[in-house]
Amino acid sequence: MSAILYHGEPNGASLTVLAALAESGLAIECRHIDLLGGERHAIAGIADPVARDLGIEGEGPVLVAGGEAMTESVFLAQYFDEAAGGAGLQPADAHARWEMMMWCRQITERLSPAAALLGNMANAQEAIAAIPDDTFAALTASIVSDDLRERWQALHDGVIDAAQIADSEAKVAAAVDRCEKQLGDGREWLMGTFSIADLVTWSWLAGMQPLQPAAFADAPLTQAWIVRTGARPSVQAALARATVPDPLRAWAPGPEINRWG
Amino acid sequence: MDEVTLYHWEPNANSGKPMLALMEKGVPFTSHYIDMLQFDQHKPEYLAINPQGTIPAMTHSADGQKRVLTESTAIMEYVNDRFAGPDLMPADAQDRWRVRWWMKFMDQWLGPSFSMIGWSVFVGPMVRQRDPAELDAAIERIPLPERRVAWRKAISGDFSAAEMAESRRRVSLGIARLEEELGKRPYVGSNQYTLADINIFNSTYSLPLSQPDLAGKDKTPNIMRWLKRVYTRDAVKKTWAMGKTDLANRYGLIMAEIEG
Ligand SMILES: N[C@@H](CCC(=O)N[C@@H](CS)C(=O)NCC(=O)O)C(=O)O
Repeated sequence: MSAILYHGEPNGASLTVLAALAESGLAIECRHIDLLGGERHAIAGIADPVARDLGIEGEGPVLVAGGEAMTESVFLAQYFDEAAGGAGLQPADAHARWEMMMWCRQITERLSPAAALLGNMANAQEAIAAIPDDTFAALTASIVSDDLRERWQALHDGVIDAAQIADSEAKVAAAVDRCEKQLGDGREWLMGTFSIADLVTWSWLAGMQPLQPAAFADAPLTQAWIVRTGARPSVQAALARATVPDPLRAWAPGPEINRWG
Repeated sequence: MDEVTLYHWEPNANSGKPMLALMEKGVPFTSHYIDMLQFDQHKPEYLAINPQGTIPAMTHSADGQKRVLTESTAIMEYVNDRFAGPDLMPADAQDRWRVRWWMKFMDQWLGPSFSMIGWSVFVGPMVRQRDPAELDAAIERIPLPERRVAWRKAISGDFSAAEMAESRRRVSLGIARLEEELGKRPYVGSNQYTLADINIFNSTYSLPLSQPDLAGKDKTPNIMRWLKRVYTRDAVKKTWAMGKTDLANRYGLIMAEIEG
């Protein structure tokens, strides 16, 4: 398969996709790009860019296959699993698969935007604000999506409203609660067997532990699951691709916060 | 014996997705009509099925177990996986990815904009004239806080100019991109009829009537060809026959427009 995976530091969406690739065993070339340098919007060789340009995950990884840009970390993980002929990342039973898709949707719809906002505020906002005006103007001009460009602009200008921060903190705490309940019957992995749900949840939650320690304080099962998932060879392989000392602190503008219900 | 019950409103937007998927697969189901404009979805009988108070929901009893399923797109995937009948997902992995991508684009980016416009011009005015005290009580019963806000805005016509403008921007851009997509392939994301067609059709079938400035024979010929292809499917006709409101009447008008 002649495909290239363009990814940022192993955190959030890039981490999910890199780990899923490692789980699948497919041989796909990976290229690191500097997300905060705007490189995602200047990838060469894309004939069909709609998914890169209108993806709703924000600065997530881009798989270029046959000239087509492919995005959205959950679907890329499913793609690797299916292209490998079934790598065990999705449960075989239809109901269990429904549960996994529901779980992933709720994580990407609620936790991901919240984690991205808090992660960016703590670790990337200063760097984005420090981008010189002319460089920033060129960078944002290369972004096709108006709403993604606005999320960059808000971080650049430092105009994030307090209610959004509070809402994001509540969403991180709610995600931890859900994990704790889900793991309550002593299961090893979120869906019983290991799946994309573990990768996606870990990718957005692991970096929240140092930022929101209180949310994890009463969640021993979740803490143990974080350690367990982090020790998987695929997650270790993804983290080993980091070019910075602490990739779980590497953030770039993420998914938008739901604007309607 | 398998027993499927579907709790749904009109064959439209989210409710229409599992209705159409079940019809395409030929799965018999018990229909339980939830009148959204009477707030049936927030009544205790329904909250016992789906505590979120949103429609649709489906129950499936099989092998001595009764399961409740929610989230319309995920329900469709379950229906396709679980039951015999024509496969509503393509076989190729990249096509499958594309089908999922378009469904998310509709569910989480374009769809909410369609519904904001729909709620402000259709749903809000339909319920607005009722007794304010009764409406207040109805809103207090809504379990999701963000939906309480949405209903209040719809009823009082309080969507801000900025949010309506953003929704219109997205609708216009989304239609243009869908037109391009359907110039590349006969169906959304692949060369066969799939869950993505069902999903997107449910929110775009009335475009020639509701957005005549953006969609129609001259502006979006690819969309019009695709709509016609979907309109003429048996499962679509059977599903629409289940509609109870004036929407059903609109389907007829659009059909005439497309065939004319
Ligand atoms: N993501 C859910 C959304 C369901 C949903 O919001 N349905 C709408 C009708 S299309 C609804 O229940 N609205 C009534 C309400 O919120 O009170 C799905 O796809 O099933």
